[in-house]
Amino acid sequence: MNKTLIELFGLDPEKFNEVNLTLATKDLTSTWVFLLFVFPLAAWFFWTSLKRIHLPLRKTFIITLRIFSLLMVIFIFLQPELEFKKKHTLKNRIAVLVDETKSMSIKVFPSEQSRIDFVRRAFEKNQDALESLTNIFQLDYYLISDQIESISSIGLDGRLSPKKINTDFEAVFSDLKKQYDDKSLQGVMLFSDGADLTVKPETISSELLTILASWNSPIHSFQAGSNHMFKDLAIEEIDSAGFGFIHQPISLTVTIGASNMGNRNIPLVLKDGDKILLSRLVEVREGESSYPVKIEFTPSVLGKHIYSLSVPLFAGESVAINNRKDFQMKVIRDRIRVLHLNGRPSWDSRFLREVLANHPKIDLLSFFILRTLDDDVASPTSELSLIPFPTNLLFSDYLNSFDLILFQNFSYKPFIDKGYLTNIKNFVENGGAFVMIGGKLSFQGGGYAQTDIEEILPVNLGGSLQSFENESFNLELERNLSRHPILQLEKESVANSSAWENLPKLNGLNVGLKPRKNSNTLASFTRGSNKYPLIVTGLFGQGRSLILATDSLWNWNFRQVGEGGSGRYYHRFWNNLINWLIDEPQTRLLRLETHKEHYEEGEEVLLRVSVLKSNYDPYPGAQVRLTLKARSGDTKLKTISTNENGEASHRFTPEEGFYTIKAETDSGKLKLEEKTGFSVFSETAEFQKPRVNETLLRRIAEITGGNYEVLTNKTDLSKANFENPKVETKTSSKHIPLWNNWWIYGLILIFLSLDWFTRRKSGLS
Amino acid sequence: MVSLFKLTIPLLLFEFGIATAYADYSNLSIPQIEYKDGYSNPHPTAVESLLGQIERRTSIETDRGSLQIELSHPNLYQYPFVYMAGSEEFEIFSGSELERLRNYLSYGGFLLIDNNSSNIGSKFDNSVRKMIDVLFPQIPLKKISRDHSIFRSFYLIDRVYGRKQINSYLEGINIKGRTVLVYSANDLGGAWARDKLGQWTHDIIGGGTRERQLAIRLGVNIVMYALTLDYKKDMVHLPIILERLKRHKLP
Repeated sequence: MNKTLIELFGLDPEKFNEVNLTLATKDLTSTWVFLLFVFPLAAWFFWTSLKRIHLPLRKTFIITLRIFSLLMVIFIFLQPELEFKKKHTLKNRIAVLVDETKSMSIKVFPSEQSRIDFVRRAFEKNQDALESLTNIFQLDYYLISDQIESISSIGLDGRLSPKKINTDFEAVFSDLKKQYDDKSLQGVMLFSDGADLTVKPETISSELLTILASWNSPIHSFQAGSNHMFKDLAIEEIDSAGFGFIHQPISLTVTIGASNMGNRNIPLVLKDGDKILLSRLVEVREGESSYPVKIEFTPSVLGKHIYSLSVPLFAGESVAINNRKDFQMKVIRDRIRVLHLNGRPSWDSRFLREVLANHPKIDLLSFFILRTLDDDVASPTSELSLIPFPTNLLFSDYLNSFDLILFQNFSYKPFIDKGYLTNIKNFVENGGAFVMIGGKLSFQGGGYAQTDIEEILPVNLGGSLQSFENESFNLELERNLSRHPILQLEKESVANSSAWENLPKLNGLNVGLKPRKNSNTLASFTRGSNKYPLIVTGLFGQGRSLILATDSLWNWNFRQVGEGGSGRYYHRFWNNLINWLIDEPQTRLLRLETHKEHYEEGEEVLLRVSVLKSNYDPYPGAQVRLTLKARSGDTKLKTISTNENGEASHRFTPEEGFYTIKAETDSGKLKLEEKTGFSVFSETAEFQKPRVNETLLRRIAEITGGNYEVLTNKTDLSKANFENPKVETKTSSKHIPLWNNWWIYGLILIFLSLDWFTRRKSGLS
Repeated sequence: MVSLFKLTIPLLLFEFGIATAYADYSNLSIPQIEYKDGYSNPHPTAVESLLGQIERRTSIETDRGSLQIELSHPNLYQYPFVYMAGSEEFEIFSGSELERLRNYLSYGGFLLIDNNSSNIGSKFDNSVRKMIDVLFPQIPLKKISRDHSIFRSFYLIDRVYGRKQINSYLEGINIKGRTVLVYSANDLGGAWARDKLGQWTHDIIGGGTRERQLAIRLGVNIVMYALTLDYKKDMVHLPIILERLKRHKLP
């Protein structure tokens, strides 16, 4: 019938195999409205206009003509057409997903076959079943990890080498859903160990559950490998913020996975380089596979650190590499902890306390010696607000929690035992900062000559018996050190010089101080041939020290206001001073940084180095040795030379892992060293959670109506059932209108002409 | 000649006073504000006596030389603590002087105003309040609460005394959390003042030695507050201070 019709309209039967009658007018509402009104009107008109025709036959003839004419009009109105088309029947699709992540290379006991071997074997043994399926369905093969990669079935066997570094089923099924959005996917065959790195062992994520809930075809999951006799101890996960604060406890949650490890206590060790920070015993018990362990440690060194957590490697473990896991953490300073000791209340101490107490980053602990043993308070202690000076707490128990210690016009006798001065010396030697601010009770006046404090100071105290002079003076900056960060009151050099020149005079000067050899005298006062150091900086061990040989710096604040200025330079000076003392990166002579903290494998690392002379001028031509420290050992990278701006850079491409870069230079007076850390994304992540996730695979099958099966040598893939509804598609079509031709219009004309002729014959107009 | 003498002597004394303080700049000096009309120095030895008590009782070192200073004097900012006393009505400072005093107090200075009249609603009191209204029109003079650092900066104090107890409280002006001005109506200077032989120049009205001691303690605390601010509210001090306040009923 179709073929006859196709040939009738002069079309090629090879190109079309189906004909449909359709209406071109899609919206029939107006047609029905039209008919509803026209039909009664037409009937009334036909009847009344033919009243005078008495011959029933003639009357019937005219009415018939008119009904035909009307039908023809309606026909034109509906615009009927014939659609000739060519249709094909399509094969339904089945997606075959094969996990190609590294965990699939883990061997299964006791067969010593890897998980991927089970998949290979299943494909080999089920070639017939797969071919049968191919006859009915279109099988689409994909390698999966945290994405899907389409491959041909022929290439599958050759590609089955597990090498991808991350498994994420949520991403896989999300991509797959998009892929088959307009295609007839009738099922999925999933071959995997279920070791999804994004979820905890034996769990499934809610996001994946949501995707699976709307899945319209069964997913048959075939589990490669099993946890039976799989012996492994692994640090599966470290939950940390990635940064921590110095001197503040950092909490980590470490998840240790244990499979068939029996009952034993296992030490978990945290290390920073070779230094053991803590060790914790974890009680591993048969039947339990996951052990969350909370650990806490307190970092004492700023900067980027590569820490490592490890558990021992036991005989017979399937995976050795997952017994240690490195992680990077940036230790930063949240607050600057300042201990401020004042020998007696004064305007200098009061204005300094105001700066420190109002500094947004400073935690201030200050003590004023309000009375001495010679003072007569004329009151019992109970009526005084004075508290005992907690020397033991300050200088023994909590000393190392401070970043900066300030002695302001403070004589240690009789408040601090001389032994505690040694503690302060050790504190500075280990990276702390110390400042002595002048006054009658400072330096020699405070009895510090030939004590451990004198060793810290950048000046010697033995020069003079007289320790303090009341004199008004202007300080002079050391020109050679004009770029020192402490002296930068303004960014521009001219404005900075002007700012210093316009500061009010100072009064009161500690004398008899002699700068040490490697110290920097930033400012001094010259009287005649004598030069009195006023601001002197120095390094002691890993720490920094500074002296201010006057007790009148507050002049730069309050007196400056009285002279029409403001106290902003006083605040800026103290900010600069504190930044330098606590060794803020911008105050360092050697700076080292990588342009990123984390790199992808194969990505180039850019290392930037900047070297300044001890007076903070750029150091051109400085030779900087770079050393790369990794788990495998130290590697000397290169020695680079700085340009005229004291800067240099180096590019290199390291392998995966966690690295510490060390830069060293001894081109100037000082031997400088700086470290930083970075990581190249580790490919060993797949081995951190090596256990088969049976729960996940089972749930995937259950939710979607598929089957779950553990792959064995007897696995029969033909048992996987899929529906096979008919799916057709149209490849070509042609529309031929039935209403738009001379036949229709001619018939209407003939009917109306006959109507007119018959009416004339009947004597009607 | 008489008028010239009258003008010259105070000037010489003044210059001498500044020079003395300059000689040992590290020590605490408290100049007294000079103003027009009124009687700006009813107890000339009060400050010297207070400074003596401070030196004896605390670690603060003082210069006890008598200093008088006008608000317009260029050296005003060498002295972050100034004392203003009086018993009579006085002419409010000029606009420029008030501006200077406002800046002085806003940027770190401290003013103790002591009403030496020993009368409720005295003319000095009226003048002080008028002056403060003009000085800080947006900041009212408020009673200083008993948990203010002034009452625990050295001594633990729960009562306010002077030569005569007119008010049981101090009043003050706060700017950005710091009390910059304290006003006492109880004639503190009268309780502090001594003659050249060291004898108290005035009796305590309605009290005795204990009340005088409390007035001296209050003076010491006010100076200590100006020098240490809210130091005694640091957490390290609070537990001990609160325990003492709880255990001992202060006299």
